[in-house]
Formats: sequence, C-alpha cells, structure tokens
Amino acid sequence: MKKHPTLPITLGLALALLAAGCRPQAQQAQAAAAPASQRLVVFSQCNNAEPYRAAQNAEMQRLWDGVPGTRLLIMDAQQDSAKQISQIETAIRVAPSLLIVAPNERAPLTEVMGRAMQAGIPVICLERDIAQPNYTTWIRADNEAIGKLVGQFVVDQLKAKYGEPRGRIVELAGLKGVEAEINRSGGAHGVWKDYPKIEIVTEAVANWLQSTAKDRMTEILAAVPQIDVVYARNDPMAMGAYLAAREKGREKEMIFVGVDGLEGEAGGIEKVRQGILAATFVYPLCVDKAVEIGTRILNEPGFKPEKVYTMTSHIVTKETLAKP
Amino acid sequence: MIAFSPIGNHEPAPALACTGVSKRYGGVQALSGVDWELLPGEVHALCGENGAGKSTLARICAGIARPDSGEIRRGGCAVAWSGSDEARRDGVGIILQELDLFANLTVAENIALGNPALEARRWVSFDALSRAVAPRLEEAGIPVDPTTPLGELGVSQWQLVAIARVLSLDAKVIFMDEPTSALTEDAVERLFAVIRRLKARGVAIAYVSHKMSEIFRISDRITVMRDGEMVATCATGDTTVDAVIRQMVGRPVTAGEATPPEEPKISVLGVRNLSTRKLRRISFDLADGEIMGVAGLVASGRSELGRALLGLSPLTGGELTLADGTYLPRGVRHAMRSLLALVPEDRRRDGLFMRMSVLENTTIAALRRYSRLGWLRGGEEREAALDLLEQSRTLFADADLPVGALSGGNQQKVLLSKWLLTFPKVLFLDDPTRGIDVGAKDDIYRLIARLARDGVGILWVSSELPELIANSHRIMVLHEGGLQGILESAEATQESVMRLATGHGPAP
Amino acid sequence: MSTAAGRGLRGAHQFTRPFIGLILVVALGVFLSPRGAGGGIIFLSGGNLTDILLQQGEIGIMALAMTLVVIAGGIDLSVGSVLAFSASLVGLLLVKWEPRLPTGAQIAAAVAAVLLLGAVIGAVNGIIITRLRLQPFVMTLAAMIGVRGLTRWMTGNTNIDFGFDAAASARFSDLFSQKPLILAVWAVLAVAAHLVLSRTVFGRYLRAIGENEKAAAFTGLPIRMARTATYVACGAAAALAGLVHAARSHQGNPNDGVAYELDVIAAVVIGGTALSGGQGTILGTVTGTLILGVLTNVLRLRMVDSNVELMIKAVIIIVAVWVQRRDRPSINS
Repeated sequence: MKKHPTLPITLGLALALLAAGCRPQAQQAQAAAAPASQRLVVFSQCNNAEPYRAAQNAEMQRLWDGVPGTRLLIMDAQQDSAKQISQIETAIRVAPSLLIVAPNERAPLTEVMGRAMQAGIPVICLERDIAQPNYTTWIRADNEAIGKLVGQFVVDQLKAKYGEPRGRIVELAGLKGVEAEINRSGGAHGVWKDYPKIEIVTEAVANWLQSTAKDRMTEILAAVPQIDVVYARNDPMAMGAYLAAREKGREKEMIFVGVDGLEGEAGGIEKVRQGILAATFVYPLCVDKAVEIGTRILNEPGFKPEKVYTMTSHIVTKETLAKP
Repeated sequence: MIAFSPIGNHEPAPALACTGVSKRYGGVQALSGVDWELLPGEVHALCGENGAGKSTLARICAGIARPDSGEIRRGGCAVAWSGSDEARRDGVGIILQELDLFANLTVAENIALGNPALEARRWVSFDALSRAVAPRLEEAGIPVDPTTPLGELGVSQWQLVAIARVLSLDAKVIFMDEPTSALTEDAVERLFAVIRRLKARGVAIAYVSHKMSEIFRISDRITVMRDGEMVATCATGDTTVDAVIRQMVGRPVTAGEATPPEEPKISVLGVRNLSTRKLRRISFDLADGEIMGVAGLVASGRSELGRALLGLSPLTGGELTLADGTYLPRGVRHAMRSLLALVPEDRRRDGLFMRMSVLENTTIAALRRYSRLGWLRGGEEREAALDLLEQSRTLFADADLPVGALSGGNQQKVLLSKWLLTFPKVLFLDDPTRGIDVGAKDDIYRLIARLARDGVGILWVSSELPELIANSHRIMVLHEGGLQGILESAEATQESVMRLATGHGPAP
Repeated sequence: MSTAAGRGLRGAHQFTRPFIGLILVVALGVFLSPRGAGGGIIFLSGGNLTDILLQQGEIGIMALAMTLVVIAGGIDLSVGSVLAFSASLVGLLLVKWEPRLPTGAQIAAAVAAVLLLGAVIGAVNGIIITRLRLQPFVMTLAAMIGVRGLTRWMTGNTNIDFGFDAAASARFSDLFSQKPLILAVWAVLAVAAHLVLSRTVFGRYLRAIGENEKAAAFTGLPIRMARTATYVACGAAAALAGLVHAARSHQGNPNDGVAYELDVIAAVVIGGTALSGGQGTILGTVTGTLILGVLTNVLRLRMVDSNVELMIKAVIIIVAVWVQRRDRPSINS
C-alpha cells in the first residue's frame, strides 16, 4: 500500500515547529485582561530591509524596553501587502494590547486595520497613511512640507548653476501607492510648476530600494544626455543613482537629493558629509511619538489621543553640518 | 525431489550447489527447501511456469538476493555473498531477464559497467575500452560498433549486448534468465555457438527458459520447478517435452497446437506496393478470419509493417484498402476509427500504463463506449472489462490494483484485451507471446483463434517459428524490407521459412 | 475478484489517508496555540480557522488547476504573473473604463473579460507547448516573464487604486472579498476538479498521458488537446485568483503575485502529486494547501520570524519530494 507523503512530512514538520516554537521570543501571548503581567505590543513593519525602517525597528525596541510591563513583537511583511494583511489578521487573534502598523500600501491595509479597531484593539498608524482613517491615531511626518523644501532647494541650486531657474530633473520614486511618495513628489512639483524652464525629464519607480534605483538610473543615463538634478524620494535610492552615475563617469554632471537623513555609517547625513548627496531632508522616524502616545493609551484608560500628530523635518547640507 | 547422477564417468565437484535454500517475499514463499547443483562444463536448464521460482533461484545463486535460509557452495566452499559484485569476483555472472542496460550510454560503456578490469581501462582512454570490448562483441555475435549508443539498437541487440557483458567477466558460472526472449533464429544460433564454446572451456551454464525446443537442443540436464519447489532433475536425453511440461504444469497441456483454422473468405485488408523508408513494395491480401503470420530476421521490417499500417512511419508509396474502401494511414486515431488495431512489441514502454489499474488499462482505448457526454459510466465499464478479462483467463487479485503488479503473461492479456474492446476488423500483433509462460501463451493462442473465427483479420509477428507455423493460415516472410514470399500453412516448415527469411527463393 | 464491500472498505481507508497528515498539523496547532482571554484555544476559534481558508484561497484555487497540469505531465510557472495581470486588468476595467453601464453590469463584464483573457494566456501556453513541442518549464517561464512585462506596461507600472466610495471598483472589492463567497467558490471548484479527474473520460486521459506518453500515443489518446485544456484551466484559475487578490487588496498591483507559483506547486507536491505526472488527487492538493495554511498560521500565532517561516516551508517541500521518490511502487514487479 502506498504510504501518503503527508504523514512523514508532518512528522518532520512537527520537529521543526517545536524547535521554532521553543525560541524565547515566542512565549505565550497574554491578553490585555492581565494587567499585572506583560501587555503585548505588536508592531507590523512593512519591510525590515529598508534602512529607514531598520532604524525604526531599533528605536521601537529601545523605547519599548524602557516601558515597564510591556513586551514588543515586530512582524516583517517583506514589502508584501498580502502578507501584511495575513499577519495582522492573525495578530488580531492573539488580542494584543496595542497594534502599531507601518502600512505597506494605502488601499490594501485599510480594511484589515478597520477590523483590528472593531476587535477593540487600539491602532497606531505609523508614518504612512491608509485610504480611510481606520486607526486610533496617525503619527506622520509632513511629507508635503519636505517636498516643498526639496523643491525650493532645487530651484536655488539651479539658479546658482545657470543664473536663472532652469534645468533638467530626473526623479526616482518609491512605491506608488504610498503617502510619502505622493506628497514628497506633490510638494516638489507644486514648487516647480511656477518655473516653466525647470523640466522633469523622466521619473522611474525604484520601490525605495538602492539596488533597484541603480538599475533604473543606469537605464535613464543611457537615454538622457544631460541631467542637472536627481531627486530621489529616499536616500538609498539617491545612493543607488549616484553609484550608477559614477559607473558612467557622470556623477559630477548632476547633484543628488534624497530624503530620510538617518544617522550612522550608511545614513544620508554621512553621505552629505562625503559630498555624495547635495542635500538630504531628515525624515523623522515618528517612533518616539508613537511610543509616547502608545504608552499613554496603555496606562491611561480615559486618554483620547489626537487623530493626527505631525512631526517636523529640516534640511541637511554641507553648510548645515559645518555649523556647530 | 529426485536427483539422477550426472553425465560422465567421474563425479566432479559441483561448480555451484545449493542446499535447503528458502526465500520469502512478503506473503509469497518463492523458494522452499531447494537443493540443486550445477556441474562445471554442463548446460543445465531450469524450467517452470511463471512464479515457479527459477528466476529467484538464479538471482540468489548469482548473489543478487540473499536466501532466508540454506547454504550456497561455490566449488565446494560455502559462500555468503552480500551482493552481486562479490559473486562476480567468485566467477559467477548472470544475464537478467529485465535487461539492466542504459540507453543513453554506448555499447562499450554498458559492457564495462560493473566490470572492474574494464572500468579501469575506461578511465585511461575510450579507444582502449572499445578495443577491449570488441572481441567480446564478436564472440556474442553482434556486429556493432562499440561506440554506438545503446538507445539506437533494437531490443534483440540489447540482449546480445547483455550476453557480451557477461562474457567479458570471464565467469566460470553463468546464469542466463530467458536469454532468447527477444532474439531471432539466427541470433539464437549464435548464442548457442557461444554456449558450446563456453561449455568446452568448462564453464557451467544455468539456462532458465520456457522454450522447450531450445532447452532440448542445448541442455545436458533439465531441472523442473513448480511453486517454489524442486520437482525433478534428469538428463535431457532421458525425457520428453511432454513429460517436462506435465511436470511444470501438473497437468497435461498441448502447447502450440491450436485448432486448425477454417477457410478464409473476403479481403479485409488489401495492400498494394506498400513502401516506406524501410519497406519495399509489399503486396498482400488479408481475408476476414485469416491469421497471417509475419516472419523474418531482425530488421527485416516486421514491426515496420505495423507502423506503416497505422501511419506512424510515413508511406513513400502504395495503396491500402479496407473492407469499406481506400484507407490512407494517418495516425493512430484514424486507424482506430477505421477499426485497425496494433498491439506493440514492448508492452511496458508502449502498451500499458504501469501504475494505472488493470481495469483502467483494459478500457482506456474504448472509453467512449462506456461514457456519456464525457462522464464515465463506472458500472458498465467494469462489467465489460471483467467480462473480457475472464474470457482470456487473465488472472489478477483485484482489478483496481496497478497492472504493473501482474505477471508478464497476464499483462500481455490485459494489453490484448484493451485492443479487443475497440472491436477491430484488422489486428496487428507484434510479438504478443514474448517473455511469457507456457500457460499464458496457450490462452493467447486460443484467444487469437477465437478472434479469427469471429471474422477479424490478424497479422501476427513472432520470432518463434513453431508457434507461428502451428497457429497461422499463411505465413508471410520478410527479408530486408521486402516480401520474400507467402507460404501456405501446409507447406510451411521451419526450414522453408528460414530459406525465405535469409533471402533465398522458395524450395524447389 | 474483490467484492463491492471489500472495495468500499479499502476505498474508505485510502480516503482517510491524506487527512492523517492534516490532522497531525491541526493537533500541533492546538498544542502550540496561544490562549485567549478566557483560556480558549485561539487556533481553533472559528474566526481563525476561516482566516486560514481565506488566506489560502488564491493559492488553493490555482493549485486545483495546477494539479491537472502536473498530472498530465506538465508544469505552469506563469500563474503568479497571470494573477497580477488579472488583478491589474480588472483594475483598469473598473477604474479607467467608463462605459454607460450600470455598476453590476460593468463588474460582470470586467470579470468575464479577465477570466477569458486568463484562459487565452493558458491556451497560448498549451498550444506552444504541444504544437511547437517546447518543454512546459521553458514555455511557462517565458510566459511568466512576458506576462509580467505586459502587466507592468499596460498599467505604467503603477497601482490602480479601487477607492472606498460607491464606484464600480469599490463595490467589486466589497463583493469579492467576502469570506463566504471566496470559500464557496474554492469549494465548488475543488469538487468540480475532483469529479473531472476521477469520473470523466478527460480525467482518465490526463492520468494516462502523464503516466506513459508513448503508450498514450499508441492508444490514440488526444494528447495535445488534453494537455492544452489543462493549461487553459490553469490560466483561468490564475485569473480568478487574481480577481480575489485584487478585491482583498483593494487595488490592482502589477507587481503582486511574485513567486506565487512556487507556493502553488508546493501545495500540489505536498498533497502527493508527483511532478513526473500520472499520479495525484484533488483531495491531496486541498490537503496540501491546508497543511501549508495551518502551518503558516501556527507560526504566525507564535510570532515566529517570517524568515524562519520560509525556511520551514523549504524543509516541507524537500521532505515531500523525497518521500514521494521512496514511496513510488516499483514498476518492475
């Protein structure tokens, strides 16, 4: 009689599962109705693989560690909206005390966050937004303001280069469905539309990733003869563009502008110091505010947070770094 | 168990001897308490029906399988081989029934496999290997280039390569399990010549076979087995075919003597100047209810004829007519619609779906009839299939078990039944009795005779002339792609057929 | 000869076999599941169990058709791309197209068009594989790449947002993301696929063709037509899965569905269908899909890192294929 393969498979699986299940991180999740012991805070991160988000994760862990009686678990959706939906659905089942979500895309995550709200779980929407306000509070940075700052910076740079506001701009965009993308681009475009001689030659989508940006930029360099400015919606993409230009020997021809402004070796600030980026704009992690509001939600039963909290940004250039 | 003294004045030590050997496979006792010995320089035949245990005994004696109990002695010393390579080192080789050769390797490489001496040479140079192997090929009687990939050779040549492989081992004891099942008459002659040469050198040969005529020609002693036990051993000269068969089967049986056919009437298949790449202007008529045997040497075009009738080999000329008009071969489905059926030579590769059930294999060609609008009518299907299988005395434990679990003879009957369910008017059988036991062969002869009585025209390719002669109305003999002649049943003898097959004219 | 009763008993035994594996995984889920507020087993809660079915719905639907393809001796690597194509196309048809039709009719027309085109892509796969005799792996790999390119090009590589208002696209989303609808569709298709495979002439032919193509040719079976039909079914199934995907995501995203074909094939393989063809059951595939779903669910309930999830999936696949090789009954009996 032919044995069915599922039997041995699942035995092998059982072993793997028990091994995985025995890891200290995956302890039994406690419900909110156990005030004395640990309350579960779940953070659904859309993609650990981006430096900005890795920085968010580190900051999250550090801050929540300082809040007694809480336990933080971070889920990584690996830039897959369907996966993030499934992960949140399952998280709802374990009834965490607080759910923080950095949504991968606007539309897909809307419904499931609404369901979390309906299940009585407080939801903090982090940085990116969703199509409908299905959250307790949204902590955002003002991407439109950043966009405007970028726009103005570029205009100033072009004026300095040519004596008048004209020039050719290449844009590298992140994921199209995301608020940051929409507003960083909208803010800048709003500034440039008043200058007819400033031309956006082309825009390529690079999904926030450095490697993808390098590929896209290589294609653009082949097609476009003269470029003045590369505006990448985040620093990794700007870096990728720079690498592509350097390979072709054209990096002196243009300036590179990014957004994020993270500290550290690989961060945008260091790149500005090295002269790779002409400027970057600090994009607040929003994490400190999230933890602050989250802690109040957990500890103050009657607390009603604002619907939206906006964090501010500022520009980083060689000049600003030189100042004490 | 009866044992007679061996031939000769003195008593030489047996080259190989077994005492009390037993072997159980699952629920089946394949061998129980077998005592047997093989003397040097003798050709010792092992006969028995399928399941008698002769192949099992051969495999144990050649080291491929281990006995559950009992002892094997090689040249007087007890041995306990853990594998066929150890047996080979002791000078025991075997040619298996299911040839374990590899189509994608060359002839030389196949021969070298498992032969340490030759394999070493292979690493040195391929030419050295070919040169080492060539004399063996000649000895076995295959005139092929050792660098030919095996896949390009025909089935009968594969068997000769297997023989050459064993020869290259310089074995002192050789087991041959159905060595001639795919060979034609001339190849069998060459094999016998090889066997005689080996015998003269003192090699002991155990010859497992169903074919009485061969056994009685080549062997010195015959051992009959039945149901895993030794029945009798005697000198070949002291016994007859009927006696042996009776001992094998336990009942008297007339093998190969089917009822004489009646007079044929109208033509169901007319062939005029049929030519393909390998056939030259073949013309004949097949009447309804006629059994036409198709004889010829290897590569004479017998299987090709079948392929041409189906349209699998493109026609370069000729016209065909069936009972209802002109027939243009266009492929299998068109042939089936015109009520032509072909039972291919290699049932395992081309005929059966080994892992599908007996029932499914039987009905697969005629499913339309047992379905409505694509939906299967299981009850009707089962009834029709079981009915037919019973008529051909096909034995199986359960119609839903895979057909691969059946014996060769029963598999062949299933294959035949599959085509019978299409109710053909013309049936082309390519070697339908290859490698199956006497009892099953008998059933198949009966089946074919019945079909003929029902009006089906039958073309029957076989390399066993006796069965062909006994069961056909006429015999067409092909030679190198051309029709050499057609003999009436009365005037057909092995000699007259051989004359035509080798390219000579009919006897004066 | 066996009696009907004997056949029935053995049939019942074989019927329960595939479930043993599933029961084991479920037992594991119960054992490892976190507890809820009242001490209840979260894993077994009705909501969680239907979540599992829902999350596996797209893979499950595609796996049904993939089973037919694999049984007939082929493979289809393009299903992920066709899913994205279908999701994007329905987005275009519901958002960018403005016909003078009532919403219901527009949705119906869009759905019909998408399913039809999915079937067409499948037909192209099937025809090229059977007529031009390209290996299925190669052809469907090419289709995977080409359809992805087509999808990105026709959408300008941007998402098509469905919105949350009363427009056709939003209504489509609401309608097609309903749990009961998706589960019912999956169930109906599973039953249909099972019946086709086990009770029709076509199903019998598929098994024979996959088991021994040479013998099938000698038997006069319609090899080309049957194989092409399986690819058409696969394309249509992928298109259907794309509709579900679009509804659940509230968008048409040309970059979705990447590597979904691997999950589909994994489900099929775990369910006992051999990639070499000739063997397999729909019941097995459904079980394989559910096993994957339950496992993923248990891992997520335990908050296991999603990368560990992937590694465990890899182990499953390897073990499944290995066990099949060992289990294959010897043909030389």
